[in-house]
Amino acid sequence: MPEANAGGTAVGQGSTAGTFIVLVADDNEVAQRLCKRVLEKAGYGVLIAADGLQAVDIALGQRPAMILMDVAMPGIDGLEAMRRIKEQVPTMPIVIASAHSMASDRERFLAAGADNVLSKPFRLADLIAIVAKLASAR
Amino acid sequence: MADKLCALRTFHPARGGEASGVAPGAGDQSFSRTRLLVRRATPFAAVAAIFAIQALADARPVLAFPLYLTVVLLVSLQQNRVESIAVAVVAATALLIVPLASAGQTSDLAPAVLLAAVILGVAIAMSALGRHARDAAAETQHRLDELAASERRLRATVESTGVGLGLTDLEGRWLQANEQLTAILGRSRDAIAGTTLVEGVSERDRTALTEALSLLRSGDVARWDADVSQLRPDGTEVPVALFITKLPNTATGEPLLLVQSRDTSVSQRVDALRDCAAAVRQVILTSAGLDQGVPQVLGALCAYLAWDAAEFWGVDPDRQVLRVRHSWNASGAVVDGFLHLGRRLAVASESGLVGRVWKSGVLAADADLEHSADFDRVESARSAGLRSAVAFPVVDGGEVVGVVELVSERSRIPKDDEVMMMATAGVEIGSFIRRSDTAQALRRSEADHRAIFERSPIGIARIGAGGDLVEANPALLGMLEHDQETMREIAWPELLHAYDQAASRQHKAPFLAGITDGSSVQVRAATGAGNWLWLQLTATPIPDSSGRPEHVLLMIEDVTAVRETSDKLAESLDAQREANANLEKLDRTKSEFLSIVSHEFRTALTGIQGFSELIRDGGLETDEVRAYGGYIFNDADRVNRLIGDMLDLDRMESGRMTMRSAEVDINDVLTEAVSRAAPSASNVEFKADLDPRLPIVAGDRDRLIQVVSNLVNNAVKYSPEGGTVTITSRAEGRFALVSVTDNGIGIPAEEIGHVFERFRRVRSGAAQSIPGTGLGLTIVKQIVEMHGGKIWVESAVGHGSSFHFTIPLAPEGAESLQLRHA
Repeated sequence: MPEANAGGTAVGQGSTAGTFIVLVADDNEVAQRLCKRVLEKAGYGVLIAADGLQAVDIALGQRPAMILMDVAMPGIDGLEAMRRIKEQVPTMPIVIASAHSMASDRERFLAAGADNVLSKPFRLADLIAIVAKLASAR
Repeated sequence: MADKLCALRTFHPARGGEASGVAPGAGDQSFSRTRLLVRRATPFAAVAAIFAIQALADARPVLAFPLYLTVVLLVSLQQNRVESIAVAVVAATALLIVPLASAGQTSDLAPAVLLAAVILGVAIAMSALGRHARDAAAETQHRLDELAASERRLRATVESTGVGLGLTDLEGRWLQANEQLTAILGRSRDAIAGTTLVEGVSERDRTALTEALSLLRSGDVARWDADVSQLRPDGTEVPVALFITKLPNTATGEPLLLVQSRDTSVSQRVDALRDCAAAVRQVILTSAGLDQGVPQVLGALCAYLAWDAAEFWGVDPDRQVLRVRHSWNASGAVVDGFLHLGRRLAVASESGLVGRVWKSGVLAADADLEHSADFDRVESARSAGLRSAVAFPVVDGGEVVGVVELVSERSRIPKDDEVMMMATAGVEIGSFIRRSDTAQALRRSEADHRAIFERSPIGIARIGAGGDLVEANPALLGMLEHDQETMREIAWPELLHAYDQAASRQHKAPFLAGITDGSSVQVRAATGAGNWLWLQLTATPIPDSSGRPEHVLLMIEDVTAVRETSDKLAESLDAQREANANLEKLDRTKSEFLSIVSHEFRTALTGIQGFSELIRDGGLETDEVRAYGGYIFNDADRVNRLIGDMLDLDRMESGRMTMRSAEVDINDVLTEAVSRAAPSASNVEFKADLDPRLPIVAGDRDRLIQVVSNLVNNAVKYSPEGGTVTITSRAEGRFALVSVTDNGIGIPAEEIGHVFERFRRVRSGAAQSIPGTGLGLTIVKQIVEMHGGKIWVESAVGHGSSFHFTIPLAPEGAESLQLRHA
């Protein structure tokens, strides 16, 4: 059922001048499409990973400006992927976007090293604001 | 003897003096010197007187010669030779003086000389004769002296003997008696004279004595003896041993009776004392107790020592007074008043006779109660005719514990041997009292313990040093439903074994090793009727005098109720704990469920919300709007399914779901399910191997489609790209067997047992990416089981999974249906 577009659509390299590249790591296609559509429209570059291992590979290989990371994913989950990425690139901003959206979950994610948490479902403006904030900080 | 007694009569003329065969004065050595001189001078005076008469009368010597001759003869007969001759010389001289003085008258001289010569010759001859006669007399005197000495010795012997001796005639009239006999008879020697032997004895002895005298008189018997009672003039009686012998009287020829009488009162008293001591000891040794023994001792004292009444005064420990505890009346009703008064008295130390004895600890006697200084019951004693009393202490270990008082109608003072005997009796009674007290205390203690043993609600067993059951009390027998014998033979060995096992578990010594800490063990034991009890056993060793355990007392309590209560409590605690754990588990499951469900909802809502927001904000291409609408629809549908699953499961688990039961063609169900799944399962190939002769089953068609769809969808979900999902059906006994097999990722071994549990989605590895509610297989299992079938799974990781389930064939369903192959 996962589609064959794993690997995503890279719109330039994260480190290339001008374009702020966001890696969207989510096993849910609908979520991938939504994020991609919204962030591209907002002017960011978007990379897609369908599971945790892909997320780690892409994050370390292509060095996006930030990662929007789901938690419940096959293979390794988002938290484990985040740990591995931060291990290599501690400065990589990672925002956990999870449908596990109880208060305790938020604390759990932040404690695991997340730079921010976005609860699903989210308002599109919230997604853009979080990304924009990190982009401006850069 | 007879001769000597005849001689005795001469010295002691009991019936007046008798003639002696000896000249008066002869051998009498008590002549006075004066009398001697007078006697010696008398012949000379006579001669002188004759001479004076001759001279004055101027008579012729021849005329005076007969007078002179008479004097000389008398002197010769009476005086010794020297005196006779001296008198003769003087007389001759007197004859010669006148003729010599007349000197010339020679005619007178010659006859005078002749006469003088005659006188001298006579005197010499007479003196020789007199000497001979005196020698004979002296010999006689000597013999008499010897006889007298012998008689004195005999008399001393007779007088000093302890035996009364006397002589009577054949009628029994007293002739003579010695001092002892007079003492025994209680009369002076003069008073005895004229009385008879018979009237001197008590009346009861007189007949026998009279008969005895008759026999002695007749010569039928020569001697007779008997113990009789001598009656004294003062009325007292003396026990005597009488011995009578018939004697010939050599002096008179008339036979006499020699009477020997021995006072046996002393020996009788000694015998009585000895018998009394023996009786007292006998009573003390054989008596059961004080109440019986002390009166018997008092009775023995009265009987053997001839007292009229006796009282035992015991020391009252609280009041420090003496009180009469026991009394004995040996004399009759007249003494009752005295004894009755005594029983009402409380005597203080040093008060009266008994108080004095109590204080001093030595025997005291009062021989004259009437005039006693301190006797406390004088009036009562007088009324009872009591005249004397003696009291001696009853001693135990040096302490006076009581006083025995003896009273008598006679005035008497106990003699030394009686005193000694009473002192001994006092010590014996004292030790008897102590032994009795000790024995009574022991009996009381024994009775107490026996009552405890018999009446205790707690079971008690006495166990011997060898571990044998000596005795079990009624409570124990009742508790264990045994009799004494089966308790001993069956129950106790089991109980002992159980004790040792329980002790061993608690690291305690086994029963027979000696238990000292008094702690308890609890054991399980069966009663004789087969009921099981919990018993608490507490052992207490009882040492013997040397400190070794002599036996063990075992207290046994039925703690079944307590144990069962505590066991039930523990059980309910366990149950509670388990329930709590289940609740916690349920709670966790619910939390997990909520977490999963909310996650699923939110995931679905993410698309719905996001894309609908995009559409709302406008500015989209038509194609975009259509695509986004499709996403929204799919996610909404998924949310709907999730809700449906949850409600289905809830209904099934709460028993509120009803199944329609109709004839269902399983092959038809399989075909329908595959046709529904196929459109969204482009990545796999479906294969069907359906048994065309499969009988119909009884069931709910929609639910069975739900089952198969779920399994097929799972197979599709977990299959790789280009995988194959195979569906088979066949009859298996009275069941239709359906299998859905994929060659997908498989289920890990540790998960395979949990796949039908709700929310137990396979999370590991590749399966993590498979969305689902976690309720699908749970619902499937419920539906299969509600149809009366079973479901199971075979799987290997990397090779795929195979789910099988059975549905019972319809009872009438022998008819085979053609498979409508899709």
